[in-house]
Amino acid sequence: MKKFNLCVLMILSFNLQAAEIIKAEVNGMVCAFCAQGIEKKLRKLPQIQDVTINLKNHIVAVALNDQHTLTVNTIKDLIKDAGYDVTDIKVMQGDLQQFKQP
Amino acid sequence: MRILILGLCLLWALPATAGPMGFQSSWMSMGDLGPNWREAFVNYALTSRDAIGISQTYMRSDNKLQTRDLSEITYTRLLYRLNQAHAQSNLWFVSGIGGINIDNNQPEAKPEVQQKIMLSPGVSADYETRRLYFSATQRLYRSENLNHDYSALRAGFSFYETDYTQTQPWLVIEARQMHDLTEQVEVTPMLRFINKQYFIEAGVNNTQQVRFNFMFIF
Repeated sequence: MKKFNLCVLMILSFNLQAAEIIKAEVNGMVCAFCAQGIEKKLRKLPQIQDVTINLKNHIVAVALNDQHTLTVNTIKDLIKDAGYDVTDIKVMQGDLQQFKQP
Repeated sequence: MRILILGLCLLWALPATAGPMGFQSSWMSMGDLGPNWREAFVNYALTSRDAIGISQTYMRSDNKLQTRDLSEITYTRLLYRLNQAHAQSNLWFVSGIGGINIDNNQPEAKPEVQQKIMLSPGVSADYETRRLYFSATQRLYRSENLNHDYSALRAGFSFYETDYTQTQPWLVIEARQMHDLTEQVEVTPMLRFINKQYFIEAGVNNTQQVRFNFMFIF
């Protein structure tokens, strides 16, 4: 039973860490009050599991739900609609934790 | 000379934190509350650059005799935005049209309250980094035989940088003047707290009046 639990934990842990992430570098994000528009717009998308905004490194990163796909252009357009400019955007595997400010 | 200085400030796009509207499809409410000036508005962002709303403004002269009540429909337009890695600059067009109640309450004359149509076009420019903030606003408040033009300059700094989820404290100083009502320049140092959900400011001006400002986006 212990081995089974361990396996489940490992699988869950692997899935959490290996989520598909879209990371965008965004110009103009200087205050949390203003950047809230980005988070609110992104969270409305059903494909998105979580959102992280890092003001210091001007990064917006989103974790996608399993079996959902989302083009980088959708994210780019949403951030632009919120009033900001995306300078770089890429899809990667990983954990949103790495983008949070310490 | 004062107009020239203000104009130069605008040309140099002096800064401002949160602008006078939120993001597309959002509502913004704002209040600027003090004994001589009380303004509250709510607007809706139709696009990422345009917002319409309603506004209510109460103005009072330094001698407390003259008062104005202005109810307006407003239109706000983001004319220009420059997004940089560590800064943002904006130029806004703000305007309103509505009715103003004028009460001059002169001691030697009989009480008289007039109602007029008022137009209030203006521009506002701001520049902001994560630690510094500047803004300049010039707005005309005009009606028949009435001129209450409003000028304001703001500058501030934050005590330290914060994460997106934390509350950031700032010290902001505002100097403002309203023609024909408050001839002396009102100077107010204010503590500002910015969070991803709210924006509040509180301070005491150079005539020992308490002021409180807030903004919410929903």
